[in-house]
Amino acid sequence: MDGRTMLVLGCVIAGSVWASGGCAVLLFRLRSRRRRSSGSSHTVGDLRLHGPIGLHAAPLRVSTSHAGSLVGLAEADDLEARELLRRGLWSSQPEVRRASVTALGQLACRHEWAVDGLIEALAEQRDTPARVAAQLDRVAPRADARLTPLLGHPSDVVRYHAARLLSRDDGGHRAVPDLTSDPSPHVRSAALSALESNPTGSGLRRAFQLLHDPDPLVRAQACRTASAISGLSAAPLVAPLLADTSWDVREAARAALVGAGSRAVPIVLPLLEDVDSTLRSLAALVLQDVGVVDDLLASGSDPRLLERISEAGGQRLRALAEDRTRRGGALGASHPVAGAGP
Amino acid sequence: MTVSTLLEAGVVACAVYLCVVYGIYLSLLAVAIVESRQRRLETEADDHDTIAHSRFLPPVSVLVPAHNEVGGLPDAVRSLLALEYPEFEVIVISDGSTDGTVERLRDEFELMPVELSSRAVVATEPVGAVFRSHAERRLVVLDKRGGGKADALNVGLNYCRYRFVCGVDADMVFARDALSRAMCAFLSDPAQVVGLTSFVEIAENPASALRGVEYRIPDSRPFLLFQTLDYLRAFFNNRIAWSRLGFMLCAVGAFQVWRRELLDELGGWSREFTCEDIELTFRVHRVLQERGEPYRVLCLPDRIGVTEGPDTIGKLVAQRERWQRVILETWWANRRMCFNRRYGRVGMLGMPFYLASEIVAPAFELLAAATLVVGAALGLVDWWLFALVLLLISLVNSGFSSASLLMVERQSGAYRPTGLLRLLALMPVEILVYRPVLSWARMKGTWRFLRGDKAWHKFERNVRTEPA
Repeated sequence: MDGRTMLVLGCVIAGSVWASGGCAVLLFRLRSRRRRSSGSSHTVGDLRLHGPIGLHAAPLRVSTSHAGSLVGLAEADDLEARELLRRGLWSSQPEVRRASVTALGQLACRHEWAVDGLIEALAEQRDTPARVAAQLDRVAPRADARLTPLLGHPSDVVRYHAARLLSRDDGGHRAVPDLTSDPSPHVRSAALSALESNPTGSGLRRAFQLLHDPDPLVRAQACRTASAISGLSAAPLVAPLLADTSWDVREAARAALVGAGSRAVPIVLPLLEDVDSTLRSLAALVLQDVGVVDDLLASGSDPRLLERISEAGGQRLRALAEDRTRRGGALGASHPVAGAGP
Repeated sequence: MTVSTLLEAGVVACAVYLCVVYGIYLSLLAVAIVESRQRRLETEADDHDTIAHSRFLPPVSVLVPAHNEVGGLPDAVRSLLALEYPEFEVIVISDGSTDGTVERLRDEFELMPVELSSRAVVATEPVGAVFRSHAERRLVVLDKRGGGKADALNVGLNYCRYRFVCGVDADMVFARDALSRAMCAFLSDPAQVVGLTSFVEIAENPASALRGVEYRIPDSRPFLLFQTLDYLRAFFNNRIAWSRLGFMLCAVGAFQVWRRELLDELGGWSREFTCEDIELTFRVHRVLQERGEPYRVLCLPDRIGVTEGPDTIGKLVAQRERWQRVILETWWANRRMCFNRRYGRVGMLGMPFYLASEIVAPAFELLAAATLVVGAALGLVDWWLFALVLLLISLVNSGFSSASLLMVERQSGAYRPTGLLRLLALMPVEILVYRPVLSWARMKGTWRFLRGDKAWHKFERNVRTEPA
């Protein structure tokens, strides 16, 4: 075969690849359009035929793209589907485990066995814990009693997710605060956040203690928790953290003080004279955020205090306040926390 | 040695080079198909809606560096604020804009000047003014002295509050699920994933290409369609495969998510290079390989938004010559990784891939052009043979393009039917009308690199709205 013939042959092969690729694209589009117009192509009946094959011949291959069908089957209380889901959680293929978690999440609203399946998936980490936790969060607080044993799980990832699942705005579980002594800073932080929804005197004392935790993640959460529980009374203890070595902690302390509003001003004002320049400047920022700078500027009542704040926070602080006042957008009673954190 | 012997040697060298490069691309395509299928199965199996609204997704700081982007920036910011994600902040950094960018944002989003505390982890040009939106608390705008895109991103890094940082381009419009899709990938392997990027679509006018959750893509203009094919191959044939093979060396500036602590450790984005995105990705690989830590940098097949494509040849050349320059700069700065076992797959596969497909490509393109011109002048070219070779290359290219189109179609099926037909029809002619422009841009970029030019040479935006 000479070079020219080989080139022609190459062109024929490459052309066929391009043409078949193009046809595949168009056929795929037609097929998916037909599938869309006829609704779900994977009917429950369809899966009934495939289910046993999946169980015995090619384990659970079928369930990957049939999570919806599995839900349909399980809704019909099909024991075979339950078995498929249970085995799906223990599949070696991650996408099959994920499909099983998705199906269990949809079923958990109505079936307790599905909630049990999700808790098993979390405890054994059969899928990403955050994914399983998101599903369990939808059925709260039904799973609380069954989640409690996970607070003593050897894995800190599982303990963390269990603690967060058990701490909700509508009231957390009593066992979670015990985890504030956990070796993992993430778990301690989650436990602290649980205290906010279940405030007690001992919980507040613990939050105050953890303001001095070695881990910045915990100190930042302790600022939030302490101020959420006790508001203004936490301010004197939180204020020194404006000089913390971690920016995240300083920011949490600033947000906590701003959250206390103008009542925190007497606690913050002495910090303007502190030897630590970071603390002085953050104290000035707190005063800006609670509206003190704008109020002083508008009323002209205490030019010396305004000067002290400007010295601590920089002259730009004052210039910005003037700009805001000029434009009619001053920080004050109506917008006291414009610069607050989360 | 006669001229014809020299020409023959040139032709053989180009043919061997072409075979090597196409062999590499074919191998990458095979890997990309496997990875794409795996991702699709995982996406199908996932309950994305539940995850996207879950309190278990980590909060993210989105950084939007902008220099004279008054036309498209408000659309970009609006689409970011409309993201379906539990907790995030948007930090726009105006890098010495002179076109009224800040004033426009000030009017549109009721910005209020405030002072905020900075983490000050990276030294940057000074910030002149800080604004927080009255209407939308998650929006912060920083107005700083011009220092380049990397400097603007570093300013954003100094001001961001959350532990995940997402750098985006100011000319983009985002899909509502962009961030949740990306962060779900972080959740899949939280211990090892340190950064990721995702598929970005291209259009002349991103805002009109993406309305709500509906796409009007691909763009109908052939010039944009050629660029679409280029992007499809870059993402689906290459980056998805690199991601699987462990040497994802280009987290694109249009959309890149990183762990903040890693950026802090690395000192943020570098100002020493023409572009910042590819250099950062190389640096992440180099540092983490040297530390011997297990890590992953991913490229996802999910379409996260639409970016603006150059609408004239001049703009395209300006953009692509800059890309070529930064590839050369970055590769050269990290050349000790190449064929170095210490750097694992990055050193043994990624760096050599760049060498073969990007670094030496302009030399072979020049050689091919010179051989053709000299051969034609001497009457030594067999035009039928030349036409056959051209046809073969064109059809092989079309094969690669149709494979990537099939992958994107299976992933999302978002292209309009007429767009699909147009893309398929344009594939064989791409080599005749589009590739020569890219070759010229690459040669120009290489020449400028050799001369040490590091200017950005920003192209004019396709005008969308009148400046304020």
